[in-house]
Amino acid sequence: MADLTLRDVRKSYGGMEILHGIDLDIASGEFVVFVGPSGCGKSTLLRCIAGLEDITSGEMHIASERMNEVSPSRRGIAMVFQSYALYPHMSVYDNMAFSLKIAGEKKVEIDRRVRQAAERLQLTAYLDRVPKALSGGQRQRVAIGRAIVRNPKVFLFDEPLSNLDAALRVATRIEIAKLKESMPGTTMIYVTHDQVEAMTLADRIVVLKDGKVEQIGTPIELYRRPANLFVAQFIGSPAMNILPATCEANGEGMLVRHAAGGAVHMAMTPPTGPAGGEICLGVRPEDLFVAAGTDGLFEGRVDLVEQLGEVQLVYLDIGRGAPLIAKLPGNQEVARGSHLRLDVRPGHLHLFSKEGHSIARRETS
Amino acid sequence: MSAPSASHPAGQVNVWAVVARTFLLALLVCLGIVVLYPLIWMALNGFKDNSQIFGDPFALPAGWSWANYVQAWNQGVRNYVTVSLIVTVASGICTVLISAWTAFGLTRSRMPMKPIVVGFVLGGLMLSPTVALIPLVKMLQSMGLYNTYWALIILYTAFRVPFTTFLIRAYMLDLPRDLDEAATMDGASEGQVFWRIILPLCRPIIISCVILHVLFAWNEYLFAMIFTSGADLQTLPVGLTSIMARHGTNYAVVFAAMTISALPIVVIFFAAQRYFIRGLAEGIGK
Ligand SMILES: Nc1ncnc2c1ncn2[C@@H]1O[C@H](COP(=O)(O)OP(=O)(O)OP(=O)(O)O)[C@@H](O)[C@H]1O
Ligand SMILES: [Mg+2]
Repeated sequence: MADLTLRDVRKSYGGMEILHGIDLDIASGEFVVFVGPSGCGKSTLLRCIAGLEDITSGEMHIASERMNEVSPSRRGIAMVFQSYALYPHMSVYDNMAFSLKIAGEKKVEIDRRVRQAAERLQLTAYLDRVPKALSGGQRQRVAIGRAIVRNPKVFLFDEPLSNLDAALRVATRIEIAKLKESMPGTTMIYVTHDQVEAMTLADRIVVLKDGKVEQIGTPIELYRRPANLFVAQFIGSPAMNILPATCEANGEGMLVRHAAGGAVHMAMTPPTGPAGGEICLGVRPEDLFVAAGTDGLFEGRVDLVEQLGEVQLVYLDIGRGAPLIAKLPGNQEVARGSHLRLDVRPGHLHLFSKEGHSIARRETS
Repeated sequence: MSAPSASHPAGQVNVWAVVARTFLLALLVCLGIVVLYPLIWMALNGFKDNSQIFGDPFALPAGWSWANYVQAWNQGVRNYVTVSLIVTVASGICTVLISAWTAFGLTRSRMPMKPIVVGFVLGGLMLSPTVALIPLVKMLQSMGLYNTYWALIILYTAFRVPFTTFLIRAYMLDLPRDLDEAATMDGASEGQVFWRIILPLCRPIIISCVILHVLFAWNEYLFAMIFTSGADLQTLPVGLTSIMARHGTNYAVVFAAMTISALPIVVIFFAAQRYFIRGLAEGIGK
């Protein structure tokens, strides 16, 4: 039983449709992350769930109760805004107490819950300050505190870390992970375009593009078995290398030959379809390794080496289109301008049809 | 000890800076004198008698006798001050609340044809009081409000709402929407968003609007003269003219009355001027 469901949810502004039919089931207690390029509708979808925007068509349910017409505050949802949106004229205490005061809670109860939340977020020392007198990280925690005092069923975050510097972002990310652990019954939906946040925090990731869901799955599913070219290139850094290729039946399996000339035998039946043997071949940079002797699927001249210490990114000019990027161990000797052969295990290859859909295959290694 | 000898260019810059500062300061002092001197002169003349005023208009008064002030106060000014206070305070509260609520609606609500509504409200700025005078007299007479406090309170409110709305709206447009949305998520109704979030945040511009309204209502003459006739309903500007008519020759009392009537405005302005400037600058700037 999913706790939050969206059925064919559409959203238009004026005549422009921004969300084109979103279907989503989120189980209660799950941590779901929306990722996607800028302008794909992540914030819009989140605001529709919050009730800050009306849904143009489709249905939304929380715990099997239809939510389309329910006002934002009655949905049992709390939201942490990207800008924090703290009330500038109120102290931290009053910021956190605001929703409880509106709800008419007793003073004692308000005090208990605010202090409890403050304790948990290490804000007790700052309760009397106004938001202006806090650092970015502290404001962020107040914004979270304001949300947790309400005991929401669903927690929404819209890019909560984007205003923080790199170090604080990592620290706060860990805080959020801990927060999630301490609230096992609370569903969390988190918008980001930072892959690392998505991969580390999510139980499941929803990849959006142009107002459509491209794929839903656990982080490792998206990484290992992307449903299409877009997801394949969006998840993982640096992005997956994609090359045009052809395939033909070859004995037990098929022979895949990529545009730069290399060929590999794969134990699967070739796809049938209008495009016939034309496919796209995907290789993750981290799956490539330096080939022994004279084999290797790819060969070319090293164009550029980016040494990152632990690993190095090698840009290999294979004579066709964009350079092939390989992530090799940092201690391997690779000279710029030298000739290099790279190989990959057939099981790590990704095949996509001309239209960009993943071609299913048996797991082999 | 080791004063740097290479400070020659810096020294020159300093000289110019000092000259410029001195100039600016002198200019400001002159401006201050131009503005303040007539006021002080008026207050001082309230302590003199007629012969002193005409004989030696710029001298300090011979003695500090409050007699003229007491006389002015007792011969009507007390009454005028009361009327002016009632009218100013009541119309000020009405104007600011109505304008703030209107501005809130104009900036925050989703209504059809909003630009037209905005144009309609702000179009009130174009209406000249003089032009509307005769219809207003007829209307207020038929409503039975002629020669009451209400006539002035309603008219001052009606004529000041467009301008005040204009100022507050400009300020509200700059307040981030996230705050409203956060409050909505926290369960606040629109009214609560207004009273607890938006209105407190608008404090600087509200204070500016109150001051502007007080300046207007305290000094307004045309409506006050036309819509009140009894001496017990006259505001200060109208009352002062009647004092002048009555004490035409006793200038000292007239000066004392004028000083009393100007005093509240001056005090309010100085007390709140920091907010006043800030509110206006923030609302219109950016
Ligand atoms: N109020 C609105 N009126 C019209 N179009 C809007 C409105 N709000 C958003 N849009 C459009 O909807 C699309 C999706 O916007 P949205 O803010 O959801 O993107 P996003 O995925 O959150 O992007 P980002 O990662 O940059 O925050 C954009 O093309 C935007 O122009
Ligand atoms: Mg966004």
